[in-house]
Amino acid sequence: MVVKIDDSKCIGCAGCVSVCPVMALTLVENKISCDAKCISCGTCVKVCPARALRL
Amino acid sequence: MDFDAIVIGAGPAGSAFAGRAAKGGMRVAVIEKKKDLGTPVRCGEGIGGHWFESLGLKIESGVGYAIEGAAVYAPDGRELVVKNDETTGFVVERKIFDKQLAIAAARKGAHFYPKTMATGLVKEAGRIAGVSVQRDGEAFEMRAPLVVSAEGMEAKIAREAGFNCQANLYDVDSCYEYEMAGIAGCHRLIELYFGNKIAPRGYVWVFPKGDDVANVGIGVGGSMGADPKRLLDDFIAKNPRFKKAEPIEVKGGVISVGAPIDSFVKDGFMVVGTAAHQVDPIHGGGIALAIEAGEMAGDAALAAFEKQDYSARTLKKYEDDWRAAEGQKLSKRLKLRKVIEQLNDDDFNHIFKEIGDSDMLKVLDSDFKPVVAKILLKRPSLLKVLMSLV
Repeated sequence: MVVKIDDSKCIGCAGCVSVCPVMALTLVENKISCDAKCISCGTCVKVCPARALRL
Repeated sequence: MDFDAIVIGAGPAGSAFAGRAAKGGMRVAVIEKKKDLGTPVRCGEGIGGHWFESLGLKIESGVGYAIEGAAVYAPDGRELVVKNDETTGFVVERKIFDKQLAIAAARKGAHFYPKTMATGLVKEAGRIAGVSVQRDGEAFEMRAPLVVSAEGMEAKIAREAGFNCQANLYDVDSCYEYEMAGIAGCHRLIELYFGNKIAPRGYVWVFPKGDDVANVGIGVGGSMGADPKRLLDDFIAKNPRFKKAEPIEVKGGVISVGAPIDSFVKDGFMVVGTAAHQVDPIHGGGIALAIEAGEMAGDAALAAFEKQDYSARTLKKYEDDWRAAEGQKLSKRLKLRKVIEQLNDDDFNHIFKEIGDSDMLKVLDSDFKPVVAKILLKRPSLLKVLMSLV
């Protein structure tokens, strides 16, 4: 499972990266990607100020 | 590529460290994964005036807008205006400010590597020996006996090194912000609007950057489940002074409002600035704290460089210096945050009615006792909430 990222909402702040317990998220040139380490805990979804993430 | 220190992140903390260490003769590399500096802006861009003297910062015209105080609003609209050396200051243009700090560090001899991303730590016989990086489609190693994380909230390499930089939802604020032009009634005051309906466990801010230009933003507690963008849009729509205002930029981010991480150094590794959660828990400001930490870490690194001993014991001078300067103050501010978040709107309104501008100055100086006494006189029911402050 990986989290789904809506790039049209994402503001590239990497807030999700800072709370991810397994470091599954990475920000490169203002784009977030999520790798297979994701455990679908939803913490990033809750913290995203732009509501750009969903499970 | 061999250096004495590799800094990850070219924000205020990283450039402050690099300038200090390079000036003292260290070969310093600053790697920054983005191609641009200071962007995307993730903050309100305010810096308190008392920092400019202590850090020797200079703000050129066009980079910052001078602020003369703060206006704080209760949920019922009652206003308190506070003018002291903490509420005066500047709202800076981070895109220029960060670049100027990097230029200053480069002039002191620091080497900069933009568009270069740290992907992991390099170790040799169990000791830190550098970082692995990616640049222009190439993966290679950069080597140094000291690695400095100035990574901001992301702090991935610091976490890989074993530091407890993972933020938790309770101890962060989730922030959304517009820079707006054409706002009516902007004075040289930072405005803060409190209220659980306006911004659950946080506030809305208006930080002026010009006569009719301001950062208009909101921070809400990360564990509150509130949608900051929607709340901010509501606030703007309801307030007639924004009627002719245009959002010209979107900013935002997630900021630590908890305690600094429990340790800033390990053998061959230091964490500085927001990566170490060196942020004021009341207003989420971290620019100046980051510069201060970067400079202190730079001094400690120079001492380690002289001895060629980058052990935690030598590097710890930075941690001791920083905690001596800021630790007590920030822990009092954290206590205050935890009290404020228990207040309901009625409590807020009551407190604003009872206290005056001079009381607010005392609160900002962490001199809580006289103010708590005054509040309890009229509202003893708040004793349990306010007790931790005295």
